[in-house]
Amino acid sequence: MSRWARSPIFYGIAAAALAGAVGQWGKMSPPTAYGLCSACHGRDLADWFLNHVEGAKLYVASPGGSWPILTVVGLVLGSFLASRRNGEFGSINLGGNVRQFVFGALAMGAALFVGGCPTRIIIRTGYGDVAAVLALMGVATGIVVATLSMRWAARR
Amino acid sequence: MIVSFASLGVGLIVGYLAQRSRMCTIGGLRDYVLVRDTALLKGVGAMLVGSWVVFGALHLIDGSRVAHGVLAAGTTPSGIRAVIAVLVGGILLGLIATFSGACPLRQHVLAGQGRVGAWAFLAGFYLAAVIYMSWISPTIGGWTQ
Repeated sequence: MSRWARSPIFYGIAAAALAGAVGQWGKMSPPTAYGLCSACHGRDLADWFLNHVEGAKLYVASPGGSWPILTVVGLVLGSFLASRRNGEFGSINLGGNVRQFVFGALAMGAALFVGGCPTRIIIRTGYGDVAAVLALMGVATGIVVATLSMRWAARR
Repeated sequence: MIVSFASLGVGLIVGYLAQRSRMCTIGGLRDYVLVRDTALLKGVGAMLVGSWVVFGALHLIDGSRVAHGVLAAGTTPSGIRAVIAVLVGGILLGLIATFSGACPLRQHVLAGQGRVGAWAFLAGFYLAAVIYMSWISPTIGGWTQ
């Protein structure tokens, strides 16, 4: 891949374009700006699985009611392919896995509470969603507070 | 059926590009605050401007289904309690994502390239999805999807 295709700017434009296109032509429509989200689509897949295997009646957003939404599977597979092709794949254990498990659970709760993972909050902000603008301001505040507190803890 | 293929394709492309660019939506602001590095912040800005342009273009193609303008109708929080709830939820999401090291989408990408901590993150992530939708969401009621 060229240097330009590997840049974060290209990624941002491509993700926005794909999210808009799949919402328009990929039947991913009734919640607005629903094209790309790791929390909502993961929730839809997990709930779809339990609904079909266990007979549960959990909420699934209307696009994923009959056929599953597989965005999160694609994310992991795409990253796996990219890292294998470029020799970056490797099982790395940095430790702190129980901590990451707890953070994962909390992150999903917070993301479903505000209506999307940070990626979808950005896409919804581009759509013009007022609640997403507020959520994005909150996320930015949280990142700055967390970063400054981590630096403070590292310097003590 | 089309939704499964469309979402799988989008996930594959986005996952591939995200792995190559090391993009993380919370990493932009974190790197800027820590070391004044704006590489990832530019990606966040590009995604924001790009989605605004994309939804504007989709409005020109098919105006009946996509809102246009700076603000979309029907998305304003219902009251001051909803505004505070969204702000507090956003702050919590930013705090948790920064402490865990990456945004949820980046954790999927890290899981794909073999990071064990990201698999632990995802295990908690999907367990919490089921717990949230089974017990917490019916209790507090959902105002957003």
